[in-house]
Amino acid sequence: MVKTNSLHFQYPGGELFNFPDIDLGAKEHLVILGPSGVGKTTLLHLLSGILPANGGSIFINDTEITSLDRKALDRFRGTHIGLIFQQYHFVRSLNVIENLQLRQYFPSKIKEKERRLAIAERLGLADHLGKKVTQLSQGQQQRLSIALGLIHKPMVVFADEPTSNLDDANCDKVLGLLKEEAKLCGSSLVIITHDQRVTEHFKNTIAL
Amino acid sequence: MRLGFIAYKNMVSKPLNMVLSLLLLVLSVSLVTFVLQLSGQLNGQMEKNITPVDMVVGAKGSPLQLVLSSVLHIDDPTGNIKLNEAEQIMKHPFVGSAIPVSYGDNYKGYRILGTELGYLERYGAVLNKGSLFDTSFEIVAGYAVAQKLGVNIGDKITSSHGLAAAGGEAHEDHPFTIVGILEPSGTVVDQLLICNLESIWDAHTHGEEEHEDDEQQETDGDHKHAGDEGHDHDHEEGEHHHDDEDHHNDNDGHDHEEHEHNHGDEEHDHSEHEAEGDHEHDHDIHEEDREITSLLVKFKSPLGLVQLPRFINENTNMQAALPGFEIQRLIGLLGSGVKTLNGIAVAILLVSGFSIFISLLKTIRERRQELALLRTYGLNTRKLLFLVLFEGLFLAFIGFLLGWLLGRLALILASKYIESGYGYVLQINGPDFVELLLLGVTLVIAIIAVFLASTSIFKMNISKILSDV
Repeated sequence: MVKTNSLHFQYPGGELFNFPDIDLGAKEHLVILGPSGVGKTTLLHLLSGILPANGGSIFINDTEITSLDRKALDRFRGTHIGLIFQQYHFVRSLNVIENLQLRQYFPSKIKEKERRLAIAERLGLADHLGKKVTQLSQGQQQRLSIALGLIHKPMVVFADEPTSNLDDANCDKVLGLLKEEAKLCGSSLVIITHDQRVTEHFKNTIAL
Repeated sequence: MRLGFIAYKNMVSKPLNMVLSLLLLVLSVSLVTFVLQLSGQLNGQMEKNITPVDMVVGAKGSPLQLVLSSVLHIDDPTGNIKLNEAEQIMKHPFVGSAIPVSYGDNYKGYRILGTELGYLERYGAVLNKGSLFDTSFEIVAGYAVAQKLGVNIGDKITSSHGLAAAGGEAHEDHPFTIVGILEPSGTVVDQLLICNLESIWDAHTHGEEEHEDDEQQETDGDHKHAGDEGHDHDHEEGEHHHDDEDHHNDNDGHDHEEHEHNHGDEEHDHSEHEAEGDHEHDHDIHEEDREITSLLVKFKSPLGLVQLPRFINENTNMQAALPGFEIQRLIGLLGSGVKTLNGIAVAILLVSGFSIFISLLKTIRERRQELALLRTYGLNTRKLLFLVLFEGLFLAFIGFLLGWLLGRLALILASKYIESGYGYVLQINGPDFVELLLLGVTLVIAIIAVFLASTSIFKMNISKILSDV
């Protein structure tokens, strides 16, 4: 599902990152573990196609995204990739359900209302659908972020430090939700983290 | 979930951002539409009102005033002229038709115009109901007058001296009977009460046969007051003063009138007038002293336009004014004002375009993380551009709509003001071609602002923007 070959990247004037090859099967989970500054987020941005690589290749479900043009890449990413950011990003002028609707609609124009309500229900957001995203608590924002990463049933979802500011109990809970949702959606899951606790939940780990 | 919906949500979530650019746009659009409508409609109405008259012959004074008073009925007359002198003009071979008009009274602020039936024909006025005036003190009401005053066939009305509603001596012993109401014609006729000339003359005799001549003179004096002073207030004062003296000097009223006359008119006019008057005094004092306010002339031949005005101005104690020329002059004066206002409005429009640009630039900067997020959702740069474009066009359209409505509101207020002062009514029309053109210009300005503001969208570094805290 996710396959890389001798992927490397260099910021202008910065150090060169050489990333280990990845080969992840469909519906499999992977944790990429590493301390700060080794290019974890860079790798995630490369894998999701929001940062162009300097060299090497990335295949997602047999599509070489490193060779797609910008427009095709936007569309591919929108349809097949889910992203859960370290800092939560929402469209602030829209409420909770509208944010979910927006993510679901573009680019494939899917309008499954039941799915929106079901995922909101599972992630404990059912009572907050009409709220502005800025009115949500930290935990609610995190769960909305997970919902946004998976609502469109991507082939693979990338999560950036999903547990970084959570206590142990909440860490377990969030990772549980992630695994469960990825399973329900049939998505592969790649978690990038410096948090050792995460490795306890997953068999498959790569260290940077 | 359409892009338009997101754009709309973005706009209403931060309304203050938009207020400034919206305000400027509303201001410029309302200014442009208001000024264009006002000048266009006033020009159109004037045009319609002066077309039936090639030349006005009246007492000496300002030619513009003569046209404004006798043709458009928005000013006081310059004075009166002798009917028999006017008749000389009527017989001139270059004159096609000449219609005498006489006025100086009003009913509740609407002018009572003594004239011939030919006046109505000239303006294409036809009866809505009732009949045309046939004898003295029968009167037909213009459509707007009848509407506003709620008068109907058979109603009796009492005229008052002067041209303004307030004050003025009422001619209570000479009530008029409304015999007809005219169809709306879109001309000055709508604002008039029209009767025959004799009614005007008879109304001022006060039924006192023995003093008929004196009284006749009195009205002349009054009219000259009205013309020379140009103010209703002064006019009334003069009139009252005059009446008192008149009663004291019943026996030598005529001399007194001559005296008044001397004050009112220019010196050389007076002497000329006196000479002519003395000459014809012997034949028929009554007929000779009849006066009218002015004569509305339509030329038979274009030569009339060339020769008659100069002939009248140089050889008689009357003046000839050409409405087309005078109104052209007036519009020329107003036109520069209109141009200035339009220039200011266009400048504001450009500033508002610039402020839309700044406003959009600001929104794009503030929301760059959201725009980057939308890219990760699969929206390509073109769609993001559309998102901003929607916002800009939405803003421009709302601004135009509000501005247009405000312009029309101003027009309604102006119409009320003009109606109470001058009896003219402005039409409140739907958007015309020029206004649609203005909408187009506004939208084009918004589109340009969008493209200038959107350049950052094309070179957006999503990875960096999303990593920034």
